Amino acid sequence: MMSYLLRRLNLLVITAFIVTVASFALVYLFPGDPLINLTGIVPANSEAYAQLQQEYAFDKNLFMQYVHYIQEIYQGNWGLSISSHNSVLDEILLFLPATLELSVYALVLSTVIGIPLGFWAGLRYQRPVDYGILSASLLGYSLPVFWLGLILILFFSLNLGWLPMSGRISLLYDIPHYSGFILLDILHSGLAESQAAMQDAVNHLILPTLSITIVTSSIVIRITRRSVTEVMESDYIKAATARGLSRGQILWRHGLRNTLLPILPQLVLQFTALLTNAMIVEVIFSWPGIGNWLLQAIYQQDFPAIRGGMLAVSAVVIIFTLSMDVLLRLINPLKDRDVHGTI
Amino acid sequence: MFMARSKLYIEEHYPSPLKHTWNEFQKSHVSLTGLWLLCIFLVIVIFAPGLAPFDPNKQQVDILLLPPSWDSSGSIQYLFGTDSLGRDLLSRVIYGSRVTLGISILLVLISMLIGLTLGAFAGMGHGLRSSILNHFLDSIMVIPTLLIAIIIVAILGTGLWNCMLAITLALIPRFIHITRNMVRAECNKEYVTAARLDGAGRVRILFDSILPNMIENLVVQGTFALSAAILDISALGFLSLGASATTPELGSMLSDGMELAYVAPWSIALPGCAILLMLVAINLVGDGLRSSLRHRLQH
Repeated sequence: MMSYLLRRLNLLVITAFIVTVASFALVYLFPGDPLINLTGIVPANSEAYAQLQQEYAFDKNLFMQYVHYIQEIYQGNWGLSISSHNSVLDEILLFLPATLELSVYALVLSTVIGIPLGFWAGLRYQRPVDYGILSASLLGYSLPVFWLGLILILFFSLNLGWLPMSGRISLLYDIPHYSGFILLDILHSGLAESQAAMQDAVNHLILPTLSITIVTSSIVIRITRRSVTEVMESDYIKAATARGLSRGQILWRHGLRNTLLPILPQLVLQFTALLTNAMIVEVIFSWPGIGNWLLQAIYQQDFPAIRGGMLAVSAVVIIFTLSMDVLLRLINPLKDRDVHGTI
Repeated sequence: MFMARSKLYIEEHYPSPLKHTWNEFQKSHVSLTGLWLLCIFLVIVIFAPGLAPFDPNKQQVDILLLPPSWDSSGSIQYLFGTDSLGRDLLSRVIYGSRVTLGISILLVLISMLIGLTLGAFAGMGHGLRSSILNHFLDSIMVIPTLLIAIIIVAILGTGLWNCMLAITLALIPRFIHITRNMVRAECNKEYVTAARLDGAGRVRILFDSILPNMIENLVVQGTFALSAAILDISALGFLSLGASATTPELGSMLSDGMELAYVAPWSIALPGCAILLMLVAINLVGDGLRSSLRHRLQH
């Protein structure tokens, strides 16, 4: 276990190193002055420029610049946004929780919907139920998430008028920022109208979450179904059948755990795709999250913001993937196998 | 099965691996439907100028936002209706499918070629060099493809060409990863050991032993990459980072129609349906191929 943890730590360090190098390289790759791309400050005159140069070690070689960059990142100085002149890190901390909230709800919902349906399909392998679920999941898997979002808006918001089409919460409610998760914030705020605010926030959440969930849960169904059919064809299940166990007993005692173990790491891998989908969906639903924010940064050529956004999203994915990996390893009884780490 | 074989000898007939896969593939009617659908789209990609009734960019000011022909106020001349600039939607969807699917196929082929080369290098190699490459790849795989594409577009500026470059660069790591894993897995099998004992060099083992065994799996991975490429290219077009509004690309057509979605729902429904059908066809073929490969290897 120790050597496993060390390997993971090694992977974490190397990955973090590569991501920071890449983000530092962006300073030079983006059009314009590298120093302005790094700091987001446009110096008024050449003296100010020289001072800035010294401050960020830009008069030294690339390696020293990188070392200084890492220090700045570590201290929380991610540069200023060119368009809003706010600290990039502060803005990210404001917008990222909204994305995470959406992603977490979608992830939980897709797992809750996807795994049972996948089990059902896998247990009824090549029967009508299986074909039905499989076709539905193929359709869901093929849906472009931005189009799905548009169609949902068109149908539920514009035609039926049931649900709001954009934003996180109605402007009527002023929820103080606490954790960034809107539902938690409402609970924490203790406002008089928190019941109504909660209802409103949930209404705003339904459509974006649904569009991500439809796409993700169909992938979960496919993964689960394949794992279930493979396990159910294996020899130890046949042996259990031969011993006279009923289908339910086989499923509970042998099937369930052996099927879920290979599924979980694959589900973790889907997180990247889910985050991407969440970032696209945000744009459609004007959800104030990191995807929307990054896109505005691109339209306005706000290079410090783009760099910071990339760093933040990669950090989220790396931390999530590695911690889930370690967690799954802890609960996996086959833990002594394959020591080599991959993300 | 294929032609009349003499039954004089009691001899079991073994089809070649490719033929075996095709036989398995044929058994599933759904997959065959997908293949037909994909063929139709390929015909559209190749013969778009002959199939489209109008020039996709011809604006007719007198017939703005004409509903599709099945609507009571539609016209049979404009089967899918027209958009907010009076452009024929059917022609735009046909040209849009050409741009989206054609470019995606091209990008997948290019990135597959590059990924295969680098992946084979990583898979066959040992020691520090391949270890560094592997770690490097694992780190790149962490960053979502769309984010890579967004960053490249931010460096180079928006436009279809930059977008194509971005998606190619984003797809390559996946192909390297897959190829590396497949080469690693094959390297441990006995037929490779046999070839090595015969004195075959590494290059020879790669081309004569490993590659032929990987090719079908690569095609399967290629179909998945193709659906990812279509999704990415239309997503970038939709976020107006890719194709400009004048280029008929399905994603940018969707973002065009978004403002008038309430008045003209067909202008977003139809291009989206085209993307959906394309992806369904590709995924059906990919799934069919994968399960027929699995069946073949089991028997």
